[in-house]
Amino acid sequence: MKKPYRILFWLLVAVLLGPLVAAWLPAGSLPGFLPVDYQSSLLTAFRQLSITLAATLVVSTLISLILGYVSVLSMRLGRFLSSVLKAVESVPSILIALFCYAPVAVYLAKQASQVSELASLAVFIFAATLTVLPESVRGLAIPLGDLYHRKYSLSFRSYGFSKAHILSVLMKTDTMLAAVRHAAAGILLKTLVLDCSFGFVIQLGFGSYGTPAHHSPGALIAANRDALFEGGNPLLFWIPSLVLATTSIAFLLVLGQKKDARS
Amino acid sequence: MTQRPLTLKGFSIRLGDRTLLDAADFEPDAGSSIVIIGKTGVGKSVLLRAVAGFLPPGVFGLDGSMLIHGLSAYEGGKKTTQETWAQIMARGLVFVPAESAQAMNPALTLEHNRRLLAPDSRDEVTRRLKSYFNLDFDAFARLYPDEVSGGELQRITLMILLSRKGNLVLLDEPTVNLDRNLRARFADFLNKEILPDRTKTVLMASHDLDFIQSLKLDQAYALDGGRLNALPSIPRAEGFEKQPAARREGKGLDLESVSQSYFKRGIFGERTFSAYKGLSIRFERSTIYGITGPSGCGKSSMIKGILRLIDGTKGAILLDGQDLVRVKPDEKGTDPAEFIPFRRRMTVVQQDSRYAFFPDLRIRDSVLQIAAARGGSEHLDERALAFYMDKVGLKPVHYNAYPRSLSSGEMKRMDIARALAAKPEVLLLDEPFAHIDFETRATVMKAISEYMAENATIVIVVTHEDFDLRYFVEQSFDFPELVGQNAGA
Repeated sequence: MKKPYRILFWLLVAVLLGPLVAAWLPAGSLPGFLPVDYQSSLLTAFRQLSITLAATLVVSTLISLILGYVSVLSMRLGRFLSSVLKAVESVPSILIALFCYAPVAVYLAKQASQVSELASLAVFIFAATLTVLPESVRGLAIPLGDLYHRKYSLSFRSYGFSKAHILSVLMKTDTMLAAVRHAAAGILLKTLVLDCSFGFVIQLGFGSYGTPAHHSPGALIAANRDALFEGGNPLLFWIPSLVLATTSIAFLLVLGQKKDARS
Repeated sequence: MTQRPLTLKGFSIRLGDRTLLDAADFEPDAGSSIVIIGKTGVGKSVLLRAVAGFLPPGVFGLDGSMLIHGLSAYEGGKKTTQETWAQIMARGLVFVPAESAQAMNPALTLEHNRRLLAPDSRDEVTRRLKSYFNLDFDAFARLYPDEVSGGELQRITLMILLSRKGNLVLLDEPTVNLDRNLRARFADFLNKEILPDRTKTVLMASHDLDFIQSLKLDQAYALDGGRLNALPSIPRAEGFEKQPAARREGKGLDLESVSQSYFKRGIFGERTFSAYKGLSIRFERSTIYGITGPSGCGKSSMIKGILRLIDGTKGAILLDGQDLVRVKPDEKGTDPAEFIPFRRRMTVVQQDSRYAFFPDLRIRDSVLQIAAARGGSEHLDERALAFYMDKVGLKPVHYNAYPRSLSSGEMKRMDIARALAAKPEVLLLDEPFAHIDFETRATVMKAISEYMAENATIVIVVTHEDFDLRYFVEQSFDFPELVGQNAGA
C-alpha cells in the first residue's frame, strides 16, 4: 500500500471508530432531541463496550502471543493446545458466555451495582477471551510455524541458534507483526459481535433487571426495538445500530488488509 | 498484419541507484522464441515480472512505455489501468515464475487450482504430465499443494501454467529445482509442444546454458549493465582450474547403515514413513562428493541427518570416529553441550538461501547474531566474511542490504560466503549453485576450491546440474543406488 493510501486508510479507520471515543464526552454534548435517560444509556453502553474491547484485546492478544509461541516451540504442547482450542471452538460463543455467567449469577445478584458491574465485566472478558483464542492462536501459530519449519530453521539451527531464539527473532518480523495486527482485528470484531449479541439476549431474557449487569449497545438496541414501530422514535434504534456498523466496518477493514508480502 | 506481442520503447528499470534496464527498445517477432541470459542479479527476472505486471509497487523505478498485444501496459513508467491489464490478461499472457509452485493457492486442491489457472485444459494437463513427467494427474487432483512433494508440485504447476491459453509465454528460470532427467524431459516437452507453436511468443530468462543449448530457440539476448544485446549464438559454459586440496589424516565422515524415517499427519493421526534405509558411505577429506537423484529421494534428509536437525535417524554417523546420532539422537530445538563442538565443525548452504538470513534485519545484523550464536568471532568473524564475499563476487553494499533487496543468486552467494567464513571441516551444500549464472558459478566454485586448498574439508554437494558434476564434483553417487531404491521417474 502506498504511503498516501496508507494514511487515508488509517484516517478512515479512525473516523469509523470515532463514536467509541465520542462516548467518553460529557453527557450534555449529545444532541438535545434525545431523551435524557436514553443519552445516559447510550453513553454507558458504548463506554462499557470500549472498555470491554480494549481489555479483551490486551488480555487475548497477550495470551495468543504466548500460546502461539509455545505451540510452535513445543510440538507436543502445540498439539494438546490445538485439541483443547478446537473443543472450545465447537461450542457457540454465546453459550460459552452464558456458561461463564452461570456459576457467578448468584454472586452478581447479591452485590452492589458497581461491584456487580465490575465482576460482570471481568466474567465477560474471560468468556470473550475463551471464544476468540482458538482463531487468534491459530492466526499466530500457523505463520510462525511456517516461517520456522519451512524457511528459517535449517540455516539458523545449523549455526547453533536454539529454536526459542529463532522464534523470538521471527516473532518481530513484518510477517508476524502483520499476523498480530490481523489477529487483533479479529479479536475486536468477534468480541464486538459477542458483546452485542449477549447484551441483546440478556435484555430479551431478563429485561433491564437481568442478573448479568452487562451494559451493551446490543441491549440498548433490544430495549428500543419497539421504537421502529408507529409512535416510536426510530433514532433510538438506529443510532446504536449505525455506530456498531461503523465500528464493525473499521475492524473488517483492518482484517481485510493485505498482509505484508515483503518477507 | 500480425499484432506485435510485446513492444518496449525506452523502457527502464531501476532498483535504488542500480539501473537494471536502461531505456531499452525491444520488439520480438510474433511467434518467436527468445531467451535472455545474464549474470545473477542483472535483472532478467525483474524484466519478466515487469512484463507480467507483477513488480511490487514502490520498490523499482520504471520509465518509458510498454505495449502488450498492442495495448498500453506502461506509459511514462506508470502501469496503466486495471481494465487495460484485464484486457491484456484476457488476450493471453502466461507467466511461469522461477518458484512456479508459488503460483498455487494453498487453500485449494490441485484440481481447483487447475480450473483457475488453466480452465478447459484438464485433458492437456493430464496428457502432458503423463507423457513427459510420468505423473498421473488424476491421482493428485484432490490433494492440496502441501500434500504433494516439492518436486511433484513443481512439475504439476509447470504443466498447468504452460497449458493455460495464452500467446505470450514468459518463463522465468523454469529449470530451477528440476533434476537432470526432469530437465531433459522438460526440454523435450518445450521443443515438441511449446516452441514449435507459432501462435505463441516465448520469452525466457535463464542462466542454465546447458538447458538453453538443448532448446530450439530463435534468438538469444544478453542483459548486462542495463543493456539488452542480441547474441549471434548461445555461449557455452566454461569451467575453472581447480587447485589441489589440502590433505590431512583423519577418518572423515562415515555413514553406517543409516536409515531415516519421518512423521506425516493423516486423517487417522500420525504415521511413520521411510525416507531411505541402509545408507552406508564414507566421505573422505579433501574430496568433493556429489550426490544426485530425483527430487524427494532423501538427499536433503541425509544432509539434515548429518547436521542432526531431524528426528527418526537410525544407524551411525561417525565424524572422526564419534557417533553423532548417539551424541544427539533427537532434534528438540537445542543442542546438548557435548554436541556443540561438532556443530561448530559443520556448515550448510541450504537449498533455498532466501531464508538463510533473518527477513527484516540487514545481512550485517543477522551475521552478528549468527556469530554470537556460533560461539563468538573466532568461529565466524566479519573480516573472514568480507574476504569470502569478495571471493564469490559480492560487494560491501550487499553486506548492509536487507535480504529482500538481494536477488536469489546474491543470497545464495552470501550463504556460501558465510559458510566458508565459519571455517567448517564439513561443508554440506544442498543445490548450492541454483540461481547462479554459469560465469559467476565458476567464480564461486573457485572460492570453495581455494578454501579446500587451505583446509582439509569434507565437502558433500547435492546437485542436479551437469555443470556442477562436470567441473566441480570429483566423485559422484546416485542416491537411489546408494540406498537400493529404483531411480524411477
